[in-house]
Amino acid sequence: MKYYFLFLLLLFYINPLYAVDSDIALDKAPINIYDIQSIKRGAKIFATTCMACHTMIYLRYNKIAQASGVRYDKMPLHITQWPNGIKPPDLSLEADIHGPDWIYTYLHSFYLDPARPTGFNNLLVPNTAMMNMLVPFQGQQIIASDLNIMQKYSDAPLQWYDVLELQRKGSLTPKQFDDMVTDIVNFLTYAANPYQAFQWKLGYYVLGFLVILFILMYLLKRNYWQDIKKE
Amino acid sequence: MWQLVLFNQIITGVWLAMEYTPTAEAAFSSIQHIMRDVRFGWLIRFMHTTGASAFFVVIYLHMYRAIIYGSYKAPRELVWLIGMGIYILLLSEAFTGYVLPWGQMSYWGAEVITSFASAIPIIGKYIIVWLRGDFNVSGVTLHRFFSLHVTLLPLIILFFVFIHLVALHYVGSNNPEGIDLKNKKNKKSQPLDSIPFHPYYTLKDLTGAIVFIAIFSTILFFAPTMGGFFLEPDNFLPANSLQTPEHISPVWYMTPFYAILRAVPNKFLGLFVMSASIALLFVLPWLDRSPVRSIRYKGMYSKIAIVIFVISFIGLGYLGVQSVSPIRTFLAAVFTCGYFLFFLSMPFYSRFEKTRVLPERLIQ
Repeated sequence: MKYYFLFLLLLFYINPLYAVDSDIALDKAPINIYDIQSIKRGAKIFATTCMACHTMIYLRYNKIAQASGVRYDKMPLHITQWPNGIKPPDLSLEADIHGPDWIYTYLHSFYLDPARPTGFNNLLVPNTAMMNMLVPFQGQQIIASDLNIMQKYSDAPLQWYDVLELQRKGSLTPKQFDDMVTDIVNFLTYAANPYQAFQWKLGYYVLGFLVILFILMYLLKRNYWQDIKKE
Repeated sequence: MWQLVLFNQIITGVWLAMEYTPTAEAAFSSIQHIMRDVRFGWLIRFMHTTGASAFFVVIYLHMYRAIIYGSYKAPRELVWLIGMGIYILLLSEAFTGYVLPWGQMSYWGAEVITSFASAIPIIGKYIIVWLRGDFNVSGVTLHRFFSLHVTLLPLIILFFVFIHLVALHYVGSNNPEGIDLKNKKNKKSQPLDSIPFHPYYTLKDLTGAIVFIAIFSTILFFAPTMGGFFLEPDNFLPANSLQTPEHISPVWYMTPFYAILRAVPNKFLGLFVMSASIALLFVLPWLDRSPVRSIRYKGMYSKIAIVIFVISFIGLGYLGVQSVSPIRTFLAAVFTCGYFLFFLSMPFYSRFEKTRVLPERLIQ
């Protein structure tokens, strides 16, 4: 039993092995997989914004498309010619590949860079090919401080908000924008593991049952083994 | 415990094979079909993936117990040899199974591990094609690995488990004291120091099994990827032969040997050293020349050696999942030396060290 608690402690201290090569620390995405309203809002944003380029082949996403009025033949699945030949990745498993925190940070850390063909660069994925679709909501960000100098004098890895500064406001306040990105990340997490809410719920029942069974079995075992101790 | 993990793998494997498609085009999406469309498919798949890691946890603890209590020593050499055979078979079973989801890590893991064969002089380049059934890892490889994973290997494993038990029952189980109990009997020829398996050990093992299942379920329901150690993030990307992942590493139970391989700069020599590290485990019964079995009665040197061995093995396992850097390569070399030191110096320290006197019976 003692070892079991030690093991639990270990379980929550294990660092995920997601490949991170960026200089920027990952911000924590405040997602809640039980929040169905948030997932639905995220799905709506996904259908109206992200689905211009990205597919989601493992979710029945043509239903979402129909609901938001996207025509089947115009869906990204049928586009063969992409600018620069870079096909936007399918997002059904994005939350499993990079993790929710990564997506949350990525969507936050676009900044103005006239050298890029899309006009925007990203702190987390330098020279990303993705267009900054969120600029009308978030507003325009610029690099406020020199990243290299700041890293030299900072012990902890920098967060995106240490480096970037809002130059022109968007239609949402920063707080509203955070909520919007949280909704998107929540939806993508759902899309990667639609069974997860049920999985966790079932897990509590299973563990509860096992705890009761353990107590009964331990008492029974102790009762039988008493004869051995006496001899 | 091994019964639990073995039958868990077989039962869940049967149901997974019902929905899985072993072709390069459909394998990846058929896994997603299992996870999303099959009722409780996610549970069955996570039981299988977590079960694979749990199997190795159980096997490693089982082997460690055999090593510290000297269960490999006479008269149980055959039990140990068959057990090592099972271990090798399990590694092959786990490897062929890891290829099946056909993600990036499946593909590149298969590419790297089958390419080991090419280091063999002269015939290597023929063996590699024979293994893959193609000039690269491809759908052909996937299909044959599926066949091996679900039929041939499990059958041989089951047979080996059977003869492992037969060999054990012939000589009887060892105990932590490492002494013989079978010849100490009373007038009715009942062993004096043993107790009946039922109800004492059935109840004790059931209690332990529940703790084990609780740990297993905690991972299964709340952290099935174990932060990337049981299911690697790169394996959620479909296999792509044109794009190599940044660093390729096998799943944790193979990493100690992978780290040994990487610690040696030369490819052929590395493969040789890695094979030697496994081969040494086979000859362990003949390396140990101590008059006693259990670590409890062995001398100081054996105790130091086992500590070095455990640190080296865990250290190698950790380094095997990390990417390569000069300091890590150096550490891997140090741990590799520690690993070999344990085995190669065993004939000397186990023979000349002072051991404690064995008791005649468990209860004096």
